[in-house]
Amino acid sequence: MIQVKNLTFSYTKKPFIKDMNFSVNEGEIFGFLGPSGAGKSTLQKILLGMLPGYRGSAIVGGMECREHGSEFYQSIGVDFEYSTMYEKLSARENLEFFSSLYDKRARSIDELLMAVGLENDADKRVSDFSKGMKSRLNFIKALVHDPKLLFLDEPTSGLDPANNRLMKDMILEEKKRGKTILLTTHNMQDATELCDRVAFIVGGQIYAMDSPHNLIMSKGAAVVTYTWIQNGEQTASCELEKMSEDKQLQELIAKNQLQSIHSSEPTLNDIFMEITGRTLV
Amino acid sequence: MRRWLNLFIWNMRFQARYGFYLLYAFLTIFYTVVLFALPITWRGKTAAMLIFSDPAAMGLFFMGAIVLLEKSQRVTAFFAITPLKAFEYVLSKVLSLNAIALVVAGVLAYVSGSRQVFLVLVGTFLSGAIFTLFGVLVATKITSLNQFILFTVPVEAAGFLPAILHLFGITPDYLKYYPANACMDLVSGRGVTFIGLLFTVALIIFLFYFACHEMLRMWQEQGGAKI
Repeated sequence: MIQVKNLTFSYTKKPFIKDMNFSVNEGEIFGFLGPSGAGKSTLQKILLGMLPGYRGSAIVGGMECREHGSEFYQSIGVDFEYSTMYEKLSARENLEFFSSLYDKRARSIDELLMAVGLENDADKRVSDFSKGMKSRLNFIKALVHDPKLLFLDEPTSGLDPANNRLMKDMILEEKKRGKTILLTTHNMQDATELCDRVAFIVGGQIYAMDSPHNLIMSKGAAVVTYTWIQNGEQTASCELEKMSEDKQLQELIAKNQLQSIHSSEPTLNDIFMEITGRTLV
Repeated sequence: MRRWLNLFIWNMRFQARYGFYLLYAFLTIFYTVVLFALPITWRGKTAAMLIFSDPAAMGLFFMGAIVLLEKSQRVTAFFAITPLKAFEYVLSKVLSLNAIALVVAGVLAYVSGSRQVFLVLVGTFLSGAIFTLFGVLVATKITSLNQFILFTVPVEAAGFLPAILHLFGITPDYLKYYPANACMDLVSGRGVTFIGLLFTVALIIFLFYFACHEMLRMWQEQGGAKI
């Protein structure tokens, strides 16, 4: 669906995106992870055809990004991080208006509103919506024309835990429907849960690219931490794969003296810090 | 075509929602009362001035408010990543605002006793297109209503002053084919020279092309693509 080769872009004389190479397969959720100013949004704009002055190649849906016309957007859905709605119109009117800009109208507005729990607020003005409600509405606005490729920019930002879950389930549902999804986020937990592959971007460069599971497993070992009572509470740790070599642990197990034991894997954020030397959270 | 038609209808719905129709219903009644209060011999020129300076020029004033509103709600940023073409957007704005202008101008022309209502409507349409396109151009450059008011002053001076003087027969030779004067000729029901009409249409085509170009640039900048 997307092939990027030797992509370089600059706002000034200094390169902002440097020699990027990656591809995104059809039906995949691909995450761009990086701190603010890393180049994620610029990359998204290049792929959306909004910054044609790049060097190298960026092909989306078989077409070079700098060459496509406005019809290209028939099959693209974009959920910006901020609201892009007419505040004086209702949720339903906004969806009807924006869907009228596309040739294809494949999704039922009522079903989409219901899917994000806004069916009872459909006729309320958007100006009366909370930030979370606007985020959900913005998301379904990107789906009204049933696009093949979705660009999601911080889709769970500002959502409460229940709606965060609902949004992630909807994103996974869209993947099941065959959509290719490009996700830009700071949220490592969301990326781990949603993305088939992620790319760590810092300073306009990709530092690592793989599935979240492979990144976690290749760079860090799971650790087991256990506690027992001996002149107060004592704590010790060992690597999961070396548990059988830990004599103290075996002895505590044999004597039933363990107070607690748990394993912990490094998070994607730990891996990001290790690889890039930067943090996102 | 379907997309353009949808956009045209939605523009009329927005204008109704924001009270444009109510405002112009009130203004039409007010202007009608003013015209009836004047002696019959004054009505023709007064109606021409009223039509030229309000319904025909409404696009110049309202485009700033409309585009600023869309900018503030980031709707224009979204347009950049839809199949919507800048010419569809600009054309729908010009025609939807002109639709109100034509109705008001038609009523005022009829009330003033004009026998050339068709010419008045053609003049209103052409001058409405010019003023709205100037409004679009100014709106793409500004970030506040104060800026818009400031930037439209030269357009108003260049549009209104020669045309009103022309209405009263004061026309320097070099402004013989000036588009604003040609429009005023039509709005006052006097008819227009072929060259005057040609210059007016050429100006509209140029402004339309330029307005579309600037609108697309603004959408892209709003989407963060400023280089």
